[in-house]
Amino acid sequence: MENFSEVVGIFFSLDNFLAIAVGVVIGVVVGSIPGLTATMAVALALPFTFSMQPVAAILLLVGIYKGGMYGGSITAILIRTPGSPASACTLLDGYPMAQQGHAKKALKAALYSSVIADFISNIALIFFAAYLAKIALNFGAPEFFWLICFSLTIIISLASGSMIKGLMAALLGILLSMVGLDEVFGSQRLTFGNYNLMDSISFIPLLIGLFAIPEIIEFYRKKAIPHIKAKANGAGLAFSELKRCMKSIVRGSLIGVIIGAIPGTGATAAAFISYSDARRRSPNRANFGKGEVEGVAAAEAGNNGVAGATLIPLLSLGIPGDVITAIILGAFMVHGLTPGPLMFQENLSLIYALFLGIMCSSVILLVVGNVAIKYFSLIADIPKSILFPIVLMFCVYGAYAVNNATFDVGLMLAFGVLGYIFNRTAIPAAPFLIGFILGPMFEDNLRRSLLIGSNDLSIFVRGPITWVFIVLTVGSIGLAIYRFAASRRGTRNSTDESHQT
Amino acid sequence: MTPSGSKRRVKVKDTSDLITGIVLLGFAIVLVFYLVPNYINEPPILQNPMMSPRWLPAIIGWLILLFSILLILQAFILEGKTEEDERAIEKGSTRRFVLMVLSLVIYVALFEAMGAVFCGILATLVLFVAHPVRTWWVYSLAFLFPIIVALLFVEVMNVPLPIMPLGF
Repeated sequence: MENFSEVVGIFFSLDNFLAIAVGVVIGVVVGSIPGLTATMAVALALPFTFSMQPVAAILLLVGIYKGGMYGGSITAILIRTPGSPASACTLLDGYPMAQQGHAKKALKAALYSSVIADFISNIALIFFAAYLAKIALNFGAPEFFWLICFSLTIIISLASGSMIKGLMAALLGILLSMVGLDEVFGSQRLTFGNYNLMDSISFIPLLIGLFAIPEIIEFYRKKAIPHIKAKANGAGLAFSELKRCMKSIVRGSLIGVIIGAIPGTGATAAAFISYSDARRRSPNRANFGKGEVEGVAAAEAGNNGVAGATLIPLLSLGIPGDVITAIILGAFMVHGLTPGPLMFQENLSLIYALFLGIMCSSVILLVVGNVAIKYFSLIADIPKSILFPIVLMFCVYGAYAVNNATFDVGLMLAFGVLGYIFNRTAIPAAPFLIGFILGPMFEDNLRRSLLIGSNDLSIFVRGPITWVFIVLTVGSIGLAIYRFAASRRGTRNSTDESHQT
Repeated sequence: MTPSGSKRRVKVKDTSDLITGIVLLGFAIVLVFYLVPNYINEPPILQNPMMSPRWLPAIIGWLILLFSILLILQAFILEGKTEEDERAIEKGSTRRFVLMVLSLVIYVALFEAMGAVFCGILATLVLFVAHPVRTWWVYSLAFLFPIIVALLFVEVMNVPLPIMPLGF
């Protein structure tokens, strides 16, 4: 009861409600503009949270995340340009519906399924995070060491594209996280005598540089393309149609929850799996791909079902499941909080206040989403030539604000160039960022294990939990090798077929 | 060249992967043999080499070296696939790109000396000219937004920024 009143005290403030509302609005707006991603928006909003209370700060970022997930579907439906990779599946049926004059129906279906999936995902977060954290309280340094190994390998094995490049990106991220003073001996590591680097590389310039600047560089490097205008027309979604889609929405949400709780899988996979499952089971399966409202609902349910669930490993284990949760982890750190099992003991009221806020975000998404459908064309009609100079300004101001140093602005631009090179060479940026975040935890748990075990390596296989994570780590490496071999076989077969024809 | 000779010649199937592999191989060699020994100090007495500040960076260096070799080999074995097509972009004018670089230079070189507002205005104008933006009233946004955003940071969010040029 005492805790409950504390939670209410922490949560029920105007700041928190404003933070969620502003976050969802920013997320929907940014998500609905092709070229601007929810990741970029979360990264750019991070410097604004410095002076905010921790709960309001995290809720602002979570609001952007959730709004961005839905916002991405708007452009996918209206102009066949997904605002985020996860919305790519929505356009399969959403765009044909818009072409048939049912754009508003598709947008409403996307909104309602997003909100329902988001709600289910939040419930899963509330139930499972505390349970998982309770189990994780039994973890010591060796168990955390293997958990981090498992998280790194699964993120790499599930990263799209080449496994070797994913590994390289993660290794480069870990290496970069080591720049600065060594925590045990205090000796300088790769600082080159630069005092700006002694306190390690700042997270925010790296983040903004990696996820916002490459888009700007690419826009000014490639040929200008004409701006496409969008229109949300037609009738809305009837209740009977929503009822018809309900089974697919619930199934999609559960798929999203399961996939979201596994680090590294992400919303794109969830959307496509949910879509294929709905197509397989639907009596209207023949209409899928031609403008079926159930297809839009299933894709969006899978996509948004991930949102709350990705916070499960973050809050209970301190492991970010994807790039956005990695940024949210950074926000926790900025406010002196370390997500993980101990947070459930030391800051339980704060966690429950966050849960309340996250639940509220679903309702706010419903309201904001309805308005966004009505006034969307105004947002989508802002050309990138006006948006990107303003985005760059936010990037520079945000990077400078971290330490009040121009060095950080330079660092951000350097990471922007690196991010652009990554894009051009198909090296995934997500494992790089996750490596940068997990690197210090990896080294810290390795060293602590050695100290606890008095330099005896058998400490790394000391109990059943370590063995579970060793098996999972080996399994995820095996999965990566299997995927690599399967893709090679696929390439070889298609080459053979093209030679035969 | 004879047909059998041309058959024996090793063909690069993904040039981008080959270049990436070579660059990363070079970086890994510099890291392992120069940066780690010279730029990471090691305490004189260590009970376990795994506790050394050099241990993990060296391991990572060796792993990057190994994977860069694998990437080079992959470039000879695997086709670039659709990734290559996604990476291909239709390049725009050099002027556009150069003006974008100029705006970045303005931010880095003048931010502290000239202040956030002046730099923001100048860089935004340069970027509007780069595209180019043809609607005249849009240029007023280049003056309006830097002021609003800087004030938002400083006054609303209490995040300090150098608003005005040095000396003002």
